[in-house]
Order: sequence, then structure tokens, then C-alpha cells
Amino acid sequence: MPILAVEGITKRFGPNAVLKNVSLSLDAKEVRAICGENGAGKSTLVKIFTGVYQPDGGTVCVDGTPTEIAHPQHAQELGIAMVAQELSLAPALSVLDNIWLGNRKVPLFHRRKDLRARARAALDKVGLGELALETPVAALSIGRRQLVEIARMLTRDARVFILDEPTATLSDIEIERIFAALRALKAEGKSIVYITHRLGEVFAICDAVSVLRNGELVGTRGIGDIDRDQLMAMMLGRSMSEMYPRWDSKPGEPLIAVRNLRVPPIVRDFNLSAARGTVTCIAGQVGSGAIEVLRALAGLSADATGEVDVNGRPYRLRSVRRAQRAGVQFVSEDRAGEGVFLRLNAGQNLVAAKLSAHTRLGVLGRSGLRATAAKLAAAVGVDRARLRSPADELSGGNQQKLAFGRWIGGDEPGVLLMNEPTRGVDVGARAEIYRLIRQFCERGYGVIMASSELEEVLGMADVVVSMYRGRQIASYRRGAADMQRVLADITHPVSPASPVAAA
Amino acid sequence: MTAVPLRARLRPGGIGARHLVLAARIVGIAALTAFALTTPGFTSALSVNALLNAISFIGCVAVGMTFITLTGNIMSLCLGATVSASALIFLASLAFGVLPAFLLALGFGIVVTAAQGLLIGYFRANPILVSIAGLSLLIGGAAFATGGQRIYPGGAGLLMFKGRVAGVPVEALYFFATVIVGQFILSWTRIGRVMVMVGSNIRAAHAVGISTAAAIAVAYVIAGACAAVSGVLLAARYGSGDMELGAGYDYAAIAAVLVGGTAIQGGSGSVIRTLIGVTVIAMIEVVLLLRGFSEQLQFLITGLIVLGVIMLHTIGEKR
Repeated sequence: MPILAVEGITKRFGPNAVLKNVSLSLDAKEVRAICGENGAGKSTLVKIFTGVYQPDGGTVCVDGTPTEIAHPQHAQELGIAMVAQELSLAPALSVLDNIWLGNRKVPLFHRRKDLRARARAALDKVGLGELALETPVAALSIGRRQLVEIARMLTRDARVFILDEPTATLSDIEIERIFAALRALKAEGKSIVYITHRLGEVFAICDAVSVLRNGELVGTRGIGDIDRDQLMAMMLGRSMSEMYPRWDSKPGEPLIAVRNLRVPPIVRDFNLSAARGTVTCIAGQVGSGAIEVLRALAGLSADATGEVDVNGRPYRLRSVRRAQRAGVQFVSEDRAGEGVFLRLNAGQNLVAAKLSAHTRLGVLGRSGLRATAAKLAAAVGVDRARLRSPADELSGGNQQKLAFGRWIGGDEPGVLLMNEPTRGVDVGARAEIYRLIRQFCERGYGVIMASSELEEVLGMADVVVSMYRGRQIASYRRGAADMQRVLADITHPVSPASPVAAA
Repeated sequence: MTAVPLRARLRPGGIGARHLVLAARIVGIAALTAFALTTPGFTSALSVNALLNAISFIGCVAVGMTFITLTGNIMSLCLGATVSASALIFLASLAFGVLPAFLLALGFGIVVTAAQGLLIGYFRANPILVSIAGLSLLIGGAAFATGGQRIYPGGAGLLMFKGRVAGVPVEALYFFATVIVGQFILSWTRIGRVMVMVGSNIRAAHAVGISTAAAIAVAYVIAGACAAVSGVLLAARYGSGDMELGAGYDYAAIAAVLVGGTAIQGGSGSVIRTLIGVTVIAMIEVVLLLRGFSEQLQFLITGLIVLGVIMLHTIGEKR
């Protein structure tokens, strides 16, 4: 009998169905991978397992009985445990305290010795036998913290362990430790749900894999019945849609050259050059360093080093102002945190970088600013009637248009850096944003964007640069890049025996 | 799924709640006005003057506080002490003439808060803690300099800071001038816009190439200047001063800022709103006084109303 099963699960947020009729079941002693591109619905599915969300349709069965998992605490009581990406340990407390923290079964009067022994046993099982119970969690690496978290779930008698991209920020040795712990759990009779982008890991430790795409279950296969290429085909599905604008690649003069860029602690030795009128996409998963490369070029990293020229003139990193004076402009991946002024209105957002041009003796030319805002709104396709609405009342797609509309019409077209330009943007607005990116190119800008969505990378790029864990793997011209190769680059097998093989 | 909270924020309920808060605000002010006008004696010259005086001293400080709140630095606990200390400086230097004394007091207020603004802006120090340190330094410094004695002025010519023009108390004129200058800076100058941007989203402001530290420092400079104006007005009115003069003004000022509807998180608000906030609180106090409530009850009721208004804004902010 399956320990955990879902049947015909549907979940929608507003008009968007995030999960459509998904059914799968998990046996005891099984390690099940769940794969899919960003936005495929993996995280939502997991949140239904753990009681964070309730499905809009379908049933969840635990041990064969239909069960409504009402809240995360309830999921824990049922033995379903989430090992979170953002760890939930208290850094200042000891390992022992963290293991028992929040456990409702600890009586007010308890024998400390007993708790110590049980914590010790759990730590031994996950391969932390040598770790002293008094060590503060702050002193542990991320990988070891994850193991402590798994041990904590063990003391709570969890039967199903859910791990969401546990290796995204880990080194090879630490990944091996996690794998060893997972194998030990399996030997204990526990089940594991393992979410990952890295295909190598699927074949390294999983028994079966379920693939989600656009909220639908594509299928579930035993690991012996499938190879890497078939798995990729399942994840990516049909060919690219009409999402992306057609264009003729016609590179202009060289615009930016980056040499020996280092962004501690991730990126080492990154080199790039890009021409006017082109889109360069840096493809990489979370933790690949792609996002960090662009942040460094924008002057937003405090400890980046390297040589960068724009139009043959060097500029020094680590200052936003110097980067902007060199003509380098940045659109953040974190829209609410760094991209948009949510409490200002749309018009004020659009002119955020244009204040100096409209200031005389410190006083703003407000009519000039209004005219500029209207012009920029027209250029990026934001309704003029909405210029006075607060930015937080606009959709994600419109907010993103504000964030990069503000860079239109500088003195001279320069470099436009964009991290994950369509994150949290719905399908309709995406096509529009891609078209706008191409318009920047036509104006003579060079666009460099970092993205973890391969379809987007291949749909938009004149040049693709692939990155894996801080290293540049390969670069391809448009046409020379195919999805399988880039996917292989950025999901690189974990085993150190095959370095850079795919390039 | 980072998209979820974003989508949640876009639900139409958010907009509806905002309108609801606006409606509640208008109804509240209308009710208060009606209540005030039906209170016997409220429209008498005496009580109007008392009202104007009450809003002038605290109002200047509240205008300054608005800038601190708007730039995302919550509040300063040091502005009351800055008021007192500038008053002392003004009184002590009256011998040089009224205008030099005024400028000295203004300069002093600016230096005191600018130092705090630089610490907060450049080193990202916690604004509340820095202001507490500033408060201790001022009180300690003043006790050291004056030996704990009250200061009596050594010059004349205080008339330009008290008395009345065309029946209006001069203090109120200075206050209204402060409001006008403050609102002008906020909505018509580049630095004003930049301060609001920094308060709305300091990381986004940094990414756009704004010097966020300078913007915060300027907000503190303005706050210091406003506190000094208030100090000079108080000194002129009472003709003597000590560190008790402006005690508690910071709390009264932040209450006015919040009742006016400037967001405590920064990035949204205005000086005009603060003017409304100051007026509303002062009106409540005058009405309660005229209706014969005891002083203890006045405090209690004022506190409850302030709390209610702030809760209303919080609901509007969070849906």
C-alpha cells in the first residue's frame, strides 16, 4: 500500500491553474524524484503534501485513507516532514536544542539524558556521529545544517522526507554526505521525495522519477526504464512556441568585455564579450553564479574583482554609480525587494533614473517628468491611465515593465543587464517583455540576461553562455546551441569523474 | 513560489480597503469638526489661540519627524532634546543679537541631527539606537554646560518670535512657513523625491544609482532645523529655558505624523498630512478640555483615539 498518494489534484491561484489533475503515489522505502522546469508546479505539489496549501480538487491519501492535511503541524503528526531550502534552525542554539526545538511531545519534566541519547542516535543515522551535541548550529556548514534538520525530523518519527533542491548551494563533498544520509534513511524504511533540477542526482540516488510540466503530470518512470535524454524530453516537452520574436542576428560593434571576473564565494574566472544589438544569455540554475555575475557588473557586489570595459573604456566594479556612468544598467531579479518602488506610483517609478535630467537648481521640472513618464509608459506598453496608480496595484508583468522602462532613452545606448526578466510574469506579458528586450537591441543596446529557464534562453539568445556552480562551461552562438547540450551543461552530473564532458 | 504573495497583494480587496480607510478618515475629521463646533467656547478667540499655539510648537517638530519617518528611519527619540538644547543655545547667545542667536540655534540643531543622519546613512546604524545615544549626549552635555540651572536671556528683541500679526500668533506663522517649505521640498525638489524613493525601497534606490546615505543625512538635517525652530519659538515665548522645555515632543510629533497617515515603514506620506495629524490631535485635546474632562481622562482619550487612527492605517496598509 502506498504510504502517500494524491489522486486528481488540482490547485489554482486566482485564474491560474498551477496543478491540473495530478496523480502519483509513493511507496515505503522509495526515493522518488520530482522534476520539472521552473513554474512546473513542483513546489505547489510539495506544499499540498505538507499542508501549507489545500487542493481545490482531488484527494490526498495517507496509508490508503483519504486525509485532509489541514496545516503543516498536521502533516508532521502524519509523519510527513519537509526539509526546507531556507533552513528553520536557530543558529545561536546548540545542535541538541535545535533537534528538540518546537517538538510538542517533549514533556515539561523530562530526562535530559534521554533526549540526549535519542538526539545522538538520530545524528548517527544521518552520518553526524562525530558532531558534539553542544556545538552551536551557527558553527556548522549549510550541508551539515541540513543533516541536523533531517535528524530533527527523525526524532519526530517522520516517515516521508521531502527535500526541495537540497544540493543547490552545497559542495561536492557535502552533497555526498546528504546522499549517504538519504540512503541510510531508505534502509530504515523511510520514503523520500526529492525535488531537483540536477538530472545527475536523479540517477544517482532515486528509484523513480515523476515529471511535471505546466502543472500537469507528464509521467512517472522507474529509473531503470529511462535515460537522461528521455528524461529531458519529458521535462521540456514540445518545441518552442511563438513566444519569442523573430529576428536576424546582426551583431554591431563590440560593446562590453569582461575579463577574469571573480565574485566570491561563487564565481571564478568569468570572461565574456558582447556586441551592440545582441542578447547574451547566461544560462544556469540556482547557485550557478549567473545572477551574481550580472549583479557584479552592475556594481552591486561588494567584493567582486575583474576587468570590465565598455566601449573600450574600463570602469571599476563595486559602485553602482560608476557602472551607470559607463552606461551599464541593471534590472533586478528581485522585483519587490530591489526593482520597483511599490509605494510610489507607476509614473514615479518610470522616471526614477531620470530625475537629474529634469532638475534645475534642485527643483524638479514636474511637467517635464510627467511628459517623460507618459512617453516611457507608451514605449513599454503600460496604460497611461495607470501612471498614477501605486506600483503595488499593478500586475507582475507591468511592474517588470516599469523596472526596465526606466532605462529607455539615456544619453547613449549602453549595456542592459537583466536577471530572470520573466520571473513571476504570466505568459501573456512574457511575450511582450521579450519583444521589448529585442527593441532595446534595435536601439543599439547590448542586452545580457541571466536565466534559469532554458526555453527562454534558447528563444532569446544570440549567444548562450552556460554556467554550473560558479564556472563557465561553454558558450554557443545562436543556432549552435541546442537544448539538450545546454541542459547537460547546467545540470552537470554530480560525479567528479566527468568534468566539463558535455562542453 | 515567489509569485504568490504578489498575486495576493493584487486582489481587489487591497484597493477596496484603501478606499475604506480614506472614507473613514474623512468621516472622522468631519465628526471631529462637528463635535468641536458644537462645543461651547471652541470658536472663541482664546481657544483658537490655544489651539494654534499647541500645534505650532509640536507641529514644527512633527514636520521634521515626517522626513525621518518618510526616509524609512521610523522616528528619532532625540528631537525633543534637540528642541530644548537649541532653545538653550538661543537664549545663551541672545547677547549677540536676535538674528545671530537664531542662526546659531538653527546651526546647532542641524549639526546634532546631521551627525546622527550620517551615522545612520553611511553605517546603516539603527536609527532608534542612534537617537537614544544622541538624547543622552544632549542631556549630559546640557547639564554639564549649564550646571543644571535655568537659563535667562541676556538680550532683548524677542518680539519677532512672539506676539501677533493681524491677530494671528507669530508662532503659528512660523509653523505654517515650515509646513510650506517642508511640503515644497518634498514634492518639488529632487532631493525630496529621492528621500521618498529611499524610504519606499532603499535597495531599489541604491540600484538606480541614488546615494541613499546622503538622502538620509539630508532628512536628518531638515529634522534638526525644524526642531531648532520649535526651540527658538518656545524660548521666546517663555523667556527662559531648561532641558525640560521640549521633553516629550518627539512622542507627540510621531503621534501626529502617524495620525496624519504617513507610513511608518517610510516611502509614503506628506507634510500636509502631518499638519492634519497635528491639528486633529490638538483639536481633540482642546475639545476635551472645554468639555471639562479631567487631565487624566484627556490623556487617556487622546491616547485611545491616536491608537485607533493608527490601527486604521495599519489595516489599510495590510488589507
